Amino acid sequence: MLKIEDLHVRVDGKEILKGLTLTVPTGEVHAVMGPNGSGKSTLANVLAGRPGYEITAGAVTFQGRDLLALAPEERAREGVFLGFQYPVEIPGVNNVYLLKAAVNAVRKHRGLEEVDAFEFLTLVKEKMRLMRMEDGMLSRGVNEGFSGGEKKRNEVLQMLVLEPRLAILDETDSGLDIDALKVVASGVNTLRSPERSLVLVTHYQRLLDYIVPDHVHVLVKGRIARSGDKSLALELERRGYDWVTGEAA
Amino acid sequence: MTVALAKRVADEYAAVRESLPADIVSQERRQEAIAALAARGLPTTRDENWRYANLRPLEKARFAPAPAARPQPSAFDLPARLDGFARYVFVDGTFAQPLSSPEEQPGVTVHSPLRAGALAASSTLPEARLALLNEAFATDTAAIHVSGAAGEPARIELLFIAVAGADTGTSYPRVQISLEPASRLILVERHVSAGAGTSFVNCSVDVEVGRGAQLTHYRLQQAGTRATWIDTLSAVLGADARYRLLAVNTGALSARSTAHVQMAGAGAELTLAVAALGDRQQVQDYFALVEHIAPRARTEQSFRGIAAGRARVAFNGKITVREAASGTDSRQSLRGLLAGPEAEIDVRPQLEIYTDEVRCSHGATAGKLDDNMLFYLLSRGLSPEVAQRLLKWAFLEDVVSKIELPALRRQIEHDLAGQMADAASLKELL
Repeated sequence: MLKIEDLHVRVDGKEILKGLTLTVPTGEVHAVMGPNGSGKSTLANVLAGRPGYEITAGAVTFQGRDLLALAPEERAREGVFLGFQYPVEIPGVNNVYLLKAAVNAVRKHRGLEEVDAFEFLTLVKEKMRLMRMEDGMLSRGVNEGFSGGEKKRNEVLQMLVLEPRLAILDETDSGLDIDALKVVASGVNTLRSPERSLVLVTHYQRLLDYIVPDHVHVLVKGRIARSGDKSLALELERRGYDWVTGEAA
Repeated sequence: MTVALAKRVADEYAAVRESLPADIVSQERRQEAIAALAARGLPTTRDENWRYANLRPLEKARFAPAPAARPQPSAFDLPARLDGFARYVFVDGTFAQPLSSPEEQPGVTVHSPLRAGALAASSTLPEARLALLNEAFATDTAAIHVSGAAGEPARIELLFIAVAGADTGTSYPRVQISLEPASRLILVERHVSAGAGTSFVNCSVDVEVGRGAQLTHYRLQQAGTRATWIDTLSAVLGADARYRLLAVNTGALSARSTAHVQMAGAGAELTLAVAALGDRQQVQDYFALVEHIAPRARTEQSFRGIAAGRARVAFNGKITVREAASGTDSRQSLRGLLAGPEAEIDVRPQLEIYTDEVRCSHGATAGKLDDNMLFYLLSRGLSPEVAQRLLKWAFLEDVVSKIELPALRRQIEHDLAGQMADAASLKELL
């Protein structure tokens, strides 16, 4: 599904990713963990195509295609979804408008007709119940006045409605209390399928209690310093990042 | 130069004065207006509060009133009527009975000239002096008088159609609104063009909102793309009066609005919200002065302007709080959006306070579309064109959401969507 090879990325002239290599096969859930400043969010943003990141070397292929050659909206239409660490508020752009525009953009790209308005609304409301969101949130501006937890739930809602092939969730667990974390995790878990891959970017092990990954990678100073199964996350929790950073230094 | 221009105005006036209707404006007042213009001169862009306006069309203007339009526009050319609103149509400033749909409403008179002195004097502000041209040359008046506390507010639409080209003369829409204490009116005032679209329009509006009266006033400037549109509004609010003034300016090549609102009665409330769109070579300039004279009055002023192409969009909002106006509460939120590298946005809040115990806040920003918002929409698969249009739309929402009439709001939304270039994909979202 996703293949990253020797990726080097600079931000404001400073190298953040320094030869990152990572392969995520179809149907798997991979967690990318790491201390602050290790390059986790840079990785997520580069995959989604955010401007301001200079790729100096390396390659990323998504379903065999050169992902880096695609514009952000083309990546989204191909089925790449980024769950934002800090979802932006867009007052005046209605949540349901955005959802519908996003779904129709994907459908148009696949040569499908536009979604039926009534069926769409029914589907969205069903997913909202799953995310424990009130219907009233639909008619509000995108993330407008939402609490931190509501914003993260809204990200997962968008993902559930869009049904991406590859979802990258950037610290979707940060700022969530335990109840909200469970809701978000159960939402994410409903999307697990043999056709879909998930990349969970996280600082803490806690999320992985609820979304159990197939593989865990530790990112240190712009490179994958260690990979393993879910027990690696538990060991990190016990021994702290110093354990890996010390080794990598 | 402005002296020469004032001289030309006086000469044109002398040539036509016999033909101007004395029941609209008396000969004396017309003569006084000409004399005042000669004394003060016409504004130039060197004047502080005119610097963003395009005043060049004044130099070439023919000030005498445009002759009656032939042929008259037909009813088919008019925007759709609003349910429950009596419609009064004026062509080049003169009432057009066949196009109108007057309706009797209790306590309401329209289009019968007000008795002299019924209305508080117009603004004598130097910024309001282009209204003197209207005073001197006016051919007709939409005079609205509302009395008594009827159950439902009166509903009136004034539709001004500019037909004549600027080379044949100026059109002078003139509106006088007087609300007696406790009366209520919802007024839609719309300016459009038909025909050549090169019209020169000079509009003057006087408003008096009596004690406890409520006026909601929608003003839509949708003049033709080559028109020059000049507008002066002067309003006086009595105690506990409420005035909601919502303006959406999208038309004309050069447009300048001056609004002077005097909060003359204690506890008066003003909402002044303006949205302006400029594209191509358009100039949209708005100057608003709100004067707090009496205590405990409240003002909420908002502006949202978008400049694309090589357009200039400006809003200069001044709030003055006089000595006696303690307890004033005023809020200003002025925001401009630059939607092109050659466009220009000028937002300028001015605050003058001559007393203590006031709450005055203001915010003014001018900038480009937010990159984070844009990326968020792209990351959901929206094309850059749709994403930008959606964000521009959202930017205007603060003003558009204040339009409480659903039918009018839809018309305005479609007008705005049409202004933002081929809006097909946006209209789907409405």
